[in-house]
Amino acid sequence: MVTQAGFGNHKWAMAVDVDKCTGCQACVLACQVENNIPLNTQDRFERNRSMAWIRVERYWEGEFPNVKARFIPIMCQHCENAPCEPVCPVFATYHNAEGLNVQVYNRCVGTRYCANGCPYIVRFFNYWEPVWPESLRNHLNPDVTIRSRGIMEKCSFCVHRIRRGVRKADSEGRALEDGEIRTACQDACPTDALVFGDLKDPNSKVSEMKKSDRYYTLLPALGTSPNVFYLAKVDEDREVAHAGAEGEHDDGH
Amino acid sequence: MASLISSIRERNKKTPTWLKVLVPVLAVGGLGVVVVTAALVAFVVTGWLGQPVPVLGFDQTFDQPIDFPHTVHAGTGQLDRDPSLPELGLDCTFCHRTVTTQANAGVPPVQQCAFCHQSIGPESNSQLQILRDHAGIDGSDKEPINWRRVHRMPDHVRFVHEPHIRYLTANPSAIGNAGSEVTGAASVEPSMVCSTCHGDVAAMEQVKQVEPLKMGQCVDCHRDNGAPTDCAACHH
Repeated sequence: MVTQAGFGNHKWAMAVDVDKCTGCQACVLACQVENNIPLNTQDRFERNRSMAWIRVERYWEGEFPNVKARFIPIMCQHCENAPCEPVCPVFATYHNAEGLNVQVYNRCVGTRYCANGCPYIVRFFNYWEPVWPESLRNHLNPDVTIRSRGIMEKCSFCVHRIRRGVRKADSEGRALEDGEIRTACQDACPTDALVFGDLKDPNSKVSEMKKSDRYYTLLPALGTSPNVFYLAKVDEDREVAHAGAEGEHDDGH
Repeated sequence: MASLISSIRERNKKTPTWLKVLVPVLAVGGLGVVVVTAALVAFVVTGWLGQPVPVLGFDQTFDQPIDFPHTVHAGTGQLDRDPSLPELGLDCTFCHRTVTTQANAGVPPVQQCAFCHQSIGPESNSQLQILRDHAGIDGSDKEPINWRRVHRMPDHVRFVHEPHIRYLTANPSAIGNAGSEVTGAASVEPSMVCSTCHGDVAAMEQVKQVEPLKMGQCVDCHRDNGAPTDCAACHH
């Protein structure tokens, strides 16, 4: 078959090595540009209605002068057991066969139940029609739908890039290689803290990283089983730098 | 009984004037509501079954900046209107060059029209004169032609030509609107598959959308051919 017969043969996941994250915000900017996210003006920011499909949370640790900044990039966790999915009355968000938590913009009616259900606060509602200045209109990504007012949006794992990669492999008649599909945030990351890949491929980089003893997920007590997982920070000053990863994260929240 | 009738008459006499005015107003208003509702229902029903009523501009052809005849360029039959004009039978991909590799089929640059038309075509042809002006053949400034788009998908649909052409050329049995020449072949040329969605463009004086190209049509075909029917395959 020359169609996308491989559909469902992947399970997309992302690994975030918190140890490598420098908090530079390049991923945030790259995501903003890649996915046609409306501009966060000061007005919107002050109303707590700014949008960022990926954000870098910052935590301060210790007392002056021994202060340390901790960074953790947070995007949609693409939960296998997502709290946002069952609450949608129109099935605008659902889990697809490739492990993505898909948001279908044209189905969304804007109830905002999903955003209220999300424990990671990574869903964003378009309270206004997005407007770009004239100079930026030609910079919009033609592969990504522009969401109008009243639509919920969130990280899509750069699904357009996944489609593009699969299509390219299909047209060249070969299997998809690990690391061939890269998300926008991953492309921008200067320290390779973000790694995107296929968990069904046992030799992929994400599969290797999942075996790490620094592995943890966010808010594991909720049982959402996310497809985004984190590798804990390595810190020699710290007594519980490994194994007790869950406890380590919880003090940040 | 008689007293009952008289009492009703008595009551009717008491009907105030404002009520006598209000009742007909409400009746006419109600009739208006019925008419508007009926029009709305008719629009939704026709839209659901196929194209909405053409009053909104659907299922209509556009006047293009140049009356480009696909019949002359792509047609292979005998031309009725002017026997002196040959039918070239050009391949679709001769002009729509990116259709086999990219999302868009692509409209050729003016320069490509000019390859032929700087030497071909009578001086007197007014439509060709527009082309010569745009192409800068007569020394005028070059300027792209602002063609009007006929087949347009909604903004929330990501349609890519390349995989569709790739599949249909390898599986000719899936081609819709197929002529007898393609059935039974193992694989066909890219230009043989366009008619599945675009109809027989080679026979159109003015290009027109002949298929509804609604989601139902996409999903039917995807389902029949084992293509993904996941929402995120097209909507993202």
